[in-house]
Amino acid sequence: MVKSGKLGYYGTLIAASCTYLFLYVPLIVLLVFSFNTEPFPSPWKGFTLKWYHALFSASHLWASFLNSLIVAICATAISLAMGIFLIFYAAQGGRIGKFLALFYGNLVIPETVLAVGLLGFFTLVSIPLGLTTLILAHSVLGLGFVIPIVYARFLELDYRMTEASLVLGATPVQTFFKVTLPLLRPALIVTGLLVFIVSFDDFILSYFCAGSTSQTLSLYILSMLRSGISPMINALSAVLLLLSCSLVLLFFTISKKARTQIF
Amino acid sequence: MNIKFLRKPPATEIPFIIGAPAMIWQVLFFYLPLLLLALSSVLQFSQLGSFEGFTFEKIAFFLRPLYLKVILSSFVLALGNAILCLLIAYPLAYFLACVGKRHKNLFLFLLIVPFWTNFLLHIYAWFFVLEKEGFLNNLLQGLGVIAEPLQFLNTPFAIMVMMVYYYLPFMVMPLYSSLEKIDMRLIEASLDLGATWGQTLRRVMLPLTKRGLKAGFFLVYIPSFGEFAIPELMGGDKMMFVGTVVANYILGDETGSLGAAFTLVASILLLLSAALLYFVIERLIPGKQHG
Amino acid sequence: MGVCFYSLILHNRVKCGVWLKMRSIKLEKLKKTVHGGVIIPEVSLHIPAGKFFALLGPSGCGKTTLLRLIAGLENAESGKIFLGEQEITAWPIHKRPINIVFQNYALFPHLDVFDNVAYSLKLKKLPSEEIKQKVTKILEAFHLENHIYKRTNQLSGGQQQRVALARAIVNEPDVLLLDEPLAALDFKLRERMLIELIELQDKLKTTFVYVTHDQFEALTVADQMAIMNHRGQIEQIGTPKEIYEFPSSSFVAKFVGTTNILSGKLRESDGQPEIDIPDLGKFKLNIPQKKEWMREGSDMMISLRPEKIFISKKEVKNFSNTLKGTVQSIVYHGRSTQYNILLKNQARIQVFEQNEEHFPQEVIDYDNVVNLYWQKENVVILEK
Repeated sequence: MVKSGKLGYYGTLIAASCTYLFLYVPLIVLLVFSFNTEPFPSPWKGFTLKWYHALFSASHLWASFLNSLIVAICATAISLAMGIFLIFYAAQGGRIGKFLALFYGNLVIPETVLAVGLLGFFTLVSIPLGLTTLILAHSVLGLGFVIPIVYARFLELDYRMTEASLVLGATPVQTFFKVTLPLLRPALIVTGLLVFIVSFDDFILSYFCAGSTSQTLSLYILSMLRSGISPMINALSAVLLLLSCSLVLLFFTISKKARTQIF
Repeated sequence: MNIKFLRKPPATEIPFIIGAPAMIWQVLFFYLPLLLLALSSVLQFSQLGSFEGFTFEKIAFFLRPLYLKVILSSFVLALGNAILCLLIAYPLAYFLACVGKRHKNLFLFLLIVPFWTNFLLHIYAWFFVLEKEGFLNNLLQGLGVIAEPLQFLNTPFAIMVMMVYYYLPFMVMPLYSSLEKIDMRLIEASLDLGATWGQTLRRVMLPLTKRGLKAGFFLVYIPSFGEFAIPELMGGDKMMFVGTVVANYILGDETGSLGAAFTLVASILLLLSAALLYFVIERLIPGKQHG
Repeated sequence: MGVCFYSLILHNRVKCGVWLKMRSIKLEKLKKTVHGGVIIPEVSLHIPAGKFFALLGPSGCGKTTLLRLIAGLENAESGKIFLGEQEITAWPIHKRPINIVFQNYALFPHLDVFDNVAYSLKLKKLPSEEIKQKVTKILEAFHLENHIYKRTNQLSGGQQQRVALARAIVNEPDVLLLDEPLAALDFKLRERMLIELIELQDKLKTTFVYVTHDQFEALTVADQMAIMNHRGQIEQIGTPKEIYEFPSSSFVAKFVGTTNILSGKLRESDGQPEIDIPDLGKFKLNIPQKKEWMREGSDMMISLRPEKIFISKKEVKNFSNTLKGTVQSIVYHGRSTQYNILLKNQARIQVFEQNEEHFPQEVIDYDNVVNLYWQKENVVILEK
């Protein structure tokens, strides 16, 4: 470890602690008050789980939760599938190096611009706004993650593995499924997780492209926000935080496995 | 021996169609919509929907001072956000890369969890804290610092806080991966030779992390420019930014193409400003030192 | 290695009515270029069936490329490749009954040892009982029975190398290619593996093609070997002894073993051919086969191996040639001692003396003036 001097060590320690505090205080406050017996804005009165009970019986909430889930899963599946097709093509010797740059824009562009563009497109082609359009929109985001990450990982693979497989008698297609894909699996899972989260949490694309009929979790929370603060949202936050924690944990475990498995 | 050619897998004949879905999808749902967007800002349609011709009216509409001010506000917002994020993220990234190496995974975990939590929840969390009868006000009143609750929400302050809160991880990640790669002994050596932290920062660290810095900067700057949700939710209706104006036009009834036109104008100005900032950063930070 | 394993293979081969799969490899005018640079310049080579063939050459000369061309991992611009009597130039990789052992083993990290070795058998859709039998038998023969279900990254370098080898021979290929397979092992392990490889090839009788830049490895294992130069051309083909004792060019002479190269002009006096070396004198030669270029006064070089020179401070008769010099350096190699001698014309000559005795009769020391003796038959003549 570097002896960066007292200033360096303590200075950055303090800075980092403050930053983490900044990141977490709102969330912790939210969590704490989800157990409060009295709805906000009254100060702490007592411990209760009633808001959680209310949460679990709010059917609209679960409907929108389900919608978000469906959209996220479909978008992830679509982008991963397309990514796999592309890698398959590349693995057989197809040249996609130059086309890769096509996908970089997806993440850099302001989401509002993309949302506006897609909205116009959907209206023009007369696709009714709803879950389908959401899935299409989110999959564009997903592609922006999947293609660069998975292709980069594919390039890092030891090409001698595929050669060994071919030499031992496997056709190029067999090699793809028996060697390349298994080696890519950790990267695919990790990227899939990333896309899932981005889609599940997404707000802007949903705001523009969901139409009036369908509602995702983000939009539901928005409507609740508009009607004022409610401890139910606090309770929801706690649940979602738990979900995020577990997903990040999953992400870290798989990343670790990925690092050790491929020498 | 040219190693590059050895790396290419043995080519077999395979139809392009296999790899095509991704491309087709991308073109269809990304480039086409954007193209339409650009087009609709310069095309004029009559009431009945028939094509009338090219027009720059819509674009000209948005070159008026009113709208240019909106763009300027967005520019200030985005730049301020990027700079603030940089100032906060750099020490954090340094901490992650050097000081907290042993528990690196824990710290990264703590950093990513808020990042992976629903965006609106964060909005709500800050609502909770910043509201007139919110947590912060109650705390300050309770501690006797202030007598009357302060207005935190619907101010530029609230918007800025939220922007930094949301975009911080985007700045930290590239910086961290850049910092992780440099040999820490260079910093040690610099301090050892008598340079202060400021000099070490300027002469050693910044040039070496230039790439990560640029990546993080633009990863924050460009989306911030078109940011819609945060100003809309945290800033009330008083402030106008590119994102909010576009949203208003788009979701309004007859003004869809106007919204597109404004998006086009704003996007072009965004690119220009980004290019400008790129050059400024290039000049400000010295290039790689020799030896 | 288990004799039982090999009798099993032989038994299977005879049982199926297919006699021992020994197939030769023939390359006809094979050419490979990359970005305009020629790597393999129209090489023709015949690798005899059932033999241990070594391809020796300096790093980067193209020998690995040649191997890859045979395996099908690269495509040649022009030329033909034959396996036995069959032309396989256009055959895709997976159709060729040729396996290759890579330098870094290329074991599949997502499969354990058993699945790695069973990979090719599973592709052939053999019944799982048969696969299990074959794989366990071969792993036992390679002393890996305790590691069958381990992950490949848990094995040592030597063990990984044996798994790679097992994987490559379990499906009984016609030809086995080895691309510097021992490069990553330490010296003692390498020596042991060389012997095991020789025994393996002996029992299997499969054609082995071994590529290396280490002449010691090549000389040890090969029944036949070829020397490739920097430009990808084959300089000489022959048995290790032929190549070492009778190199056909100065490149081969210098690359395989160490040698002293002296230049001069060809002269003849009284019917005895001599080489006239400026400032040193005339030395008798033996010309086994008169060549076109050998004329009075033509430039030539001779290769004189250090071990063929006798060094002594005394006057010794019975040698055709002699030279005087001063001892510049002495290096003790255990089995032998190497002397570097400075000659009158400022050139240096290396001499190897076997340390036959504990207490040698003659002690040669730094700056001694010594006589070097050699027989004219022990010199190889090279064209300049």
